[in-house]
Amino acid sequence: MKKILSIVMVLALAAFASFAAVTTASAEELKMTGTISKIELAADGKSATVVLKDTKTEASVTVIVSDELTLDKFKDKRIVEGDEIRTKYDSEGGKNSSKMFKKTAGC
Amino acid sequence: MWGKNVVIVLGCILLAATVYAKEHPGKEQILKDGYQGPKTCEECHPGKAKEFLGTVHWKHASKVDHVDNLDPNEEHGMKNRIYTMCNGNDIVNNLKEVPPNALGKTKFTGCNTCHPGDHASDVGSTGPAAEQAIDCLICHSLKYDFSKRKAVKDSSGKVVMTQDRSTEAAANIGRPSVKNCMACHEAAGGGAMIKRGFSMAKDAEVHITKGIICVDCHQVKNHKFPTGRDPNNWAHDGIYMTCVGECHTIKPHSDPDYNRHTDKIACQTCHIPKTGGAFSKDFTKWEKQSNGFFEPSTLKREVNETAPVYAWYNLTVSNTPQFIGPKGSRTDGKSKIYPFKIFQGKAYYNKKDGKLMSMDFAPPIANGDSLAGVASAAKILGIKDYEPVPGWQTIYFGSNHQVTPKSKALRCANCHAVNGVLNLKELGYNPREIEKLTTPEIYFEKLLKQQQENE
Repeated sequence: MKKILSIVMVLALAAFASFAAVTTASAEELKMTGTISKIELAADGKSATVVLKDTKTEASVTVIVSDELTLDKFKDKRIVEGDEIRTKYDSEGGKNSSKMFKKTAGC
Repeated sequence: MWGKNVVIVLGCILLAATVYAKEHPGKEQILKDGYQGPKTCEECHPGKAKEFLGTVHWKHASKVDHVDNLDPNEEHGMKNRIYTMCNGNDIVNNLKEVPPNALGKTKFTGCNTCHPGDHASDVGSTGPAAEQAIDCLICHSLKYDFSKRKAVKDSSGKVVMTQDRSTEAAANIGRPSVKNCMACHEAAGGGAMIKRGFSMAKDAEVHITKGIICVDCHQVKNHKFPTGRDPNNWAHDGIYMTCVGECHTIKPHSDPDYNRHTDKIACQTCHIPKTGGAFSKDFTKWEKQSNGFFEPSTLKREVNETAPVYAWYNLTVSNTPQFIGPKGSRTDGKSKIYPFKIFQGKAYYNKKDGKLMSMDFAPPIANGDSLAGVASAAKILGIKDYEPVPGWQTIYFGSNHQVTPKSKALRCANCHAVNGVLNLKELGYNPREIEKLTTPEIYFEKLLKQQQENE
C-alpha cells in the first residue's frame, strides 16, 4: 500500500512539474514586423483581433490588442489595414496577446 | 495646500468635462451646410485662419534668442534646423515620393508630413490659399478619420496631403484632446515615442490620469502655444510656461524640506524620474528593413526605461556642431538642476567648414546610400564645396512630460546618497560638500518616521 502511495505521489509530482514547465514555456514573448491584413474591433470596443502578415515569413499571425491607446488608434484610423506594424506579444495557449503595437513608419 | 490642489484639479476636470459635454455651437449649421474647410470655421471665428499662419505650428520656425550661434534676425526651427535626431528638415526632406527600392516599392515621406496644411500650401506659406488649406479639424475634431489624411499625387503629379473634411468630423469639434496633440507629437523622429520618448497615456502621466489634458497646461492664446524650455526645442510662439501658475505654487509641497529645494531643483527633476525613446542614431549606416526600405540605425528604449542625466540649466542653450545642451552652473544665480535625456547621433560633417551636414532621406530610404542623401541635400541647399566626414553630436533633450505619481517621485534618499541619481561632482560640488550632501544624517529620522507611519 505504501509502495502504491509513493508511486502515486511521484507520478503526481512529475505531472505537476511537467504542467508547470509547459505553462512557463508556453508564456513566451515573441516579436515580429508585419502588415495588417485585418482589424476586427470587439463589440464592446475593449479589444481588437488583428491579423498580421509576417514580412519575413509571410505567415499569418493573429494578435489580440487590448491596450486603450492602440484601440483608440484603430477607432480613429491612425492605424489601418495595410500599415506595417512592429509588435511584441505573449503567446500562451494558442492566444497571442499584444504587449507593444506600433507603426514602423515615423515622419 | 492639499485641499487647494484638490479643488484646482477638480475644477480642471469639471471644466474639461463641461467643455466636452457641451456641443460646439453651430453644429446644426455644419450638419445642414456641410464643412467647407476654414471658411466654415471663420463664419464664427473671423481672422483665425490668418492668425494661425503666424504660429510655430504653421511656420515650424520662429526667431530664437536663447540659443548660441544663431542669427537672431532669422527664423529657426524644424523648417531649417540640422541636427542628429532628425538629420533632415522640412526643406531637404520636403514631403515626396522616395525612389523605388530593390523590391520596386515606393512610399511618401517627409519631415513636414505633420504640417497642418495640404502641402500645396506648405510650411510658412501665407495668403488666402494657405488660409483655406489649414487642416483645422486635425487638431479640433474628436472624430477625425486619420485614414483620410494621406500623401497622394494630384492630377498634375504634385504631392499633396489630403484631409478629413467630412461633416461628421466637423460636427464633433472642440478643444484639442490629448489624442489630437499626440497624433503628431508622438510620431516624431522616426516612429512612435522615438524622439521624446514619453507617453501621455492615462497610466503613464499623472495629469492625464486626473483628466487634465495638454491644452489645460499649454494654455493657448490666439493659437500661440506656451512651451517650456527644452534646450533642443528652439522655435516658440513667444510665450513660456512653467509648472508654477494656476495649479502649482512656487512652494507646492506640504513638507517644508521639499520646498527648500525649489529654488535650485526644477519640478521635473524629482517628478519625472524616467524617460525613453531613441538614445542614439547613426545616419551614416542605414539598416535594411523586411519591407525592403532602409532606416537609420537606431538604439532605443521603451518609455520609462531611461534614467535621465541631470545638469544645471539657466534656460539658455549651448549650440555647436558637436553639442546642443543646457548652459548654466551652480554659481550663476539663475540655474536650476533639470533632468535631460542624452541623445547621441552620428551624421556627416563638412570637413571644409566643420558644420554638420543635412541629409535628404529619400535616397537612403530606397537603397541605404547615406552619402547620396547628403549629396541631394547639399544640392537642395546650394552647397557646392563640401567633403563629408562622419562624426558624433550630443544633444540634451529636456525631460518635461510623463510626470509620475507623487508616490513614485524621487525622494531624499534618491539624491542624497553615495552614487545617487545626481552626479554631484559633475554638478560642481567638491568632495567635502559631496560628503555632507550624501550622509543619511540629512534624512534618516524623517524617512524612518514616514516608514513607521506606513507600516
